[in-house]
Amino acid sequence: MIEITYEFIVGLFIVVGGLLTLAATVGAIRFPDVYTRNHAISKSTTLGVTMILVGTLLYFFLFEEHFNSRLVLAIMFILMTAPISGHLIGRAAYNSGVKLAERTVTDELERDRKKGKQANSL
Amino acid sequence: MFDFVLYITLLCISLAMVGLVYRVIKGPSTPDRVVALDGLGINLVAIIAILSIILRTSAFLDIILLIGILAFIGTVTFAKFLEKGVILERDRDNL
Amino acid sequence: MAFQMLLNFFLAFLWMFLKTSFTPAAFVVGFFWGLVILFIFRSYFPDRFYLHRVVAIIKLFLLFIKELILSNLNVLKHVLKPKMDIKPGIFALPIDLQKDWEIMLLGNLITLTPGTLTVDISDDNKILYIHAVNIDDVKESVDSIKNTFEKAIMEVSR
Repeated sequence: MIEITYEFIVGLFIVVGGLLTLAATVGAIRFPDVYTRNHAISKSTTLGVTMILVGTLLYFFLFEEHFNSRLVLAIMFILMTAPISGHLIGRAAYNSGVKLAERTVTDELERDRKKGKQANSL
Repeated sequence: MFDFVLYITLLCISLAMVGLVYRVIKGPSTPDRVVALDGLGINLVAIIAILSIILRTSAFLDIILLIGILAFIGTVTFAKFLEKGVILERDRDNL
Repeated sequence: MAFQMLLNFFLAFLWMFLKTSFTPAAFVVGFFWGLVILFIFRSYFPDRFYLHRVVAIIKLFLLFIKELILSNLNVLKHVLKPKMDIKPGIFALPIDLQKDWEIMLLGNLITLTPGTLTVDISDDNKILYIHAVNIDDVKESVDSIKNTFEKAIMEVSR
């Protein structure tokens, strides 16, 4: 009985993680430009993979009584580095001149940069 | 039942990777491809985790950390290359 | 903070040597008694008891997990909607934090809040530029960013 409960918990973590990962890919295919795609991948994939790793950790802890500290390290590492890589790609895309999608409403960064250029040229 | 759930999730992630490969091939700009490659690296981590449960072995768990680190380094390198055109800056005066 | 922590580790090792048992359990017990001793003598240290800061860090981490889940639900909603009616945009957010690592932490947390992603920072470290999936529901979330995250980070660094 308790075995089935454990399997249910681990399975829930893993299935939700897999579905989140799939949803991230749907977002990456459907969204109109780099920045919005970056949203989908850097968030949903992170949480999805984190949940799968937590499920794996629980599985090895509950069934094989083997607490794998390297998995904890991997979870911490992925949680720490995912926003950094998302921000880096976003900045690189903006600075290398990738256009925002046509439905974009405001771009205050471009406005402020133009203002800075005018101030410098004066 | 538990194994069935694992195989379904494996299928989900494989489909996700196929979608990301589509984005890598088609992606209108280079940053699109880099974003998709980053996602591919992280999905690979998930696949290894699930495979190690299916095979009931903890031998692959070390590889998870390794691939996570490699994916991060790859993304940072690509981002730097896109932004500055070089990866390792030699002249320290321009920092 | 570093000095108090070092002292605590020293007390834990002292406990282990006094008990002549070098197991992790003895270390944990020694660490606990060291914590009690540090707590009793807390008014003799120049800065505040370091457990306060540890509690603040744990609170920040829980907040981070909560926002990560909420942001995923938000993006999921936009992804799975059959008709895409998003209005992306970049907006500016003035910040009050000064130290580099505080700004880095805030930027990372914003990247994981509902539908926002840090794109750039101004040269004088005063303004963050944030890309949002849907600019309409961002106007309220700016207030929540300023109230929850900046306050939690200040709690840690105070």
